[in-house]
Amino acid sequence: MKRRDFLTGAAVMAGAAVAGKPAGGTAQLSASPCPVTLLPMPDYGRDMEKEIAQVMTSDGLVLKGKRVLLKPNFVEAHPERPINTNPSVIASVAHACLRLGASEVAVGEASGHRRDPWFSVLNPALRTVLDKRVKCLDLNHGEAVATPNRGGSTGLSKFYLARAVAEADVLICLPKMKTHHWMGVTLCLKNLFGTLPGIYYGWPKNLLHFRGIENSVLDLARTVRVHYNVIDGVVGMEGDGPIMGRAKPVGALVLSPFSLAADATAARLMGFEPRRVLYLVMAGRFLPGLRPEDVALRGEDPRRFATRFDCLDAFKPMRGGPFF
Amino acid sequence: MTGASDKLPGLGKLASFELPGGGVPYYRGGGPAAEPSLLALLAFTAAGGSGERTKALLGWATALQNSDGSVSVNAVDHDQGLWLTAPAAVVFERYGMERARDRALDFLVSVSSKTVANDPNVRQDNTIVGWPWVRDTFGWVEPTAWAVLALGVCGRGGHPRAVEGRRFLLDRQIPSGGWNYGNPGVNDRELLPFWDTTGLALLVLRGRTDVSLVRPSLEFLETNQEKIQSLCGLAWAVLGLEAWGRPAARLRQRLDAAMDPASDDGLNAAHLAAGVIALSGGKVVAQ
Repeated sequence: MKRRDFLTGAAVMAGAAVAGKPAGGTAQLSASPCPVTLLPMPDYGRDMEKEIAQVMTSDGLVLKGKRVLLKPNFVEAHPERPINTNPSVIASVAHACLRLGASEVAVGEASGHRRDPWFSVLNPALRTVLDKRVKCLDLNHGEAVATPNRGGSTGLSKFYLARAVAEADVLICLPKMKTHHWMGVTLCLKNLFGTLPGIYYGWPKNLLHFRGIENSVLDLARTVRVHYNVIDGVVGMEGDGPIMGRAKPVGALVLSPFSLAADATAARLMGFEPRRVLYLVMAGRFLPGLRPEDVALRGEDPRRFATRFDCLDAFKPMRGGPFF
Repeated sequence: MTGASDKLPGLGKLASFELPGGGVPYYRGGGPAAEPSLLALLAFTAAGGSGERTKALLGWATALQNSDGSVSVNAVDHDQGLWLTAPAAVVFERYGMERARDRALDFLVSVSSKTVANDPNVRQDNTIVGWPWVRDTFGWVEPTAWAVLALGVCGRGGHPRAVEGRRFLLDRQIPSGGWNYGNPGVNDRELLPFWDTTGLALLVLRGRTDVSLVRPSLEFLETNQEKIQSLCGLAWAVLGLEAWGRPAARLRQRLDAAMDPASDDGLNAAHLAAGVIALSGGKVVAQ
């Protein structure tokens, strides 16, 4: 199904979401409805380590002795645009993992935008705010592990996952809350593109575009084991995202063991109806958390953050609400 | 170790990346990979360190060539990384490996990027054929630039694919200067130019392109050079500007400093090799 056909022909696919097992992780298998916590973070000057650690613990995430990989969205060092997961959010999550006893914590990204890793996770703006025990890994340039594709949407038999992704005990997805000029919104599920090394897939990962961006997101969602998600919605991006858009302050972090539940909740905070976002609906066939009744909201009242992101005209039919 | 001359900054450090079992990794602690190995070979020969001392590394890199002439991303995933065939062809040429070179070039000219009809919302000619990163996908600036470079270095700069490749690169140039990884703009908005792709494209277009066609990009690099901070960006900016005879002394100084960081943590051997090539004057990648 093409995105346009979906938007014009399907109002709501409420029945698409069925409870199912997420991609992996003990925390993900434990609860239904899916817990999603909203933490207020009005600006990036606040250290959220302690609060994040508390929520992770309450969500059942066990990190003691584990090798943890944080996968932010960090693709372009631009001084004026909120393109990346902010370094202070990455640092707060990384330090929370250390607080919870992780044996190793690394931040890794395979940017499909910039090849030069200085513009990604090797940027000084990130490295200088991290504890020295936290490594920064350029996932574009290094070894990969051929991993069977557990989905069937792209027709690809396998994905070459960056070795650090394949070998992490715990993978934490840390996307930015943004609009996307091909997808409508980009959150946790789309962020998984950055687990694939550029030396195998190129810049951009054009093979995934040819196989269908939605298809690729779905296959990666089935293949990559994600154990926890933290969406940086402190300042999101609206308009012509994920690179050329404008800042949109929301003031929240969205935390959940469930990728789709986090994405659906964040989409609602952005003013998008997740049941009108094709890839989220498709993901709802094998991941829990698409419908509001699939989500147990915790933390701050969502009405404090709910807003309406501007977007390209093509995606305006995806918007809805008010949801809270 | 290659034992290559230490006359050029960064050369000794680059040599120290070479693994005992063969090959050079991108980062310390990583496995051997084609790109840093190939660029290291170019850096060593640029510094006069070829011959017996690079024999092991050259042997490792040569073994990456597949039966169809393509070169793989590493010694494990032989069906991945066709874009590396172009820098490999340059290495084979510089090391006098004519048969391997010709097989690589034959493969290169057999590979075409996908084309589609032009889109009024995208200011580029989608019908021009370039080179993709991955088979059966669109053409992009970097693999196209390297393929054109390889054909030029190997004496085939007049090949129709090289001619079209240069046309591809000029078409993808951002009107106000520089190159993104692929598109100059979308929906009447220019995309961001990158230092590395801009330097590489300028290097490749030197010699067969009138300066008036690339002047905005030269001026973009010249006027923004103080903003370039990464080793990768500095190396390719020096190569791009000097290819056109533009002064880059200040950039060279900063490149020299960037090649000797306090820690090797995060130091990419491919970028280090590009830095050595840039400081050598870039003749090893001149057409």
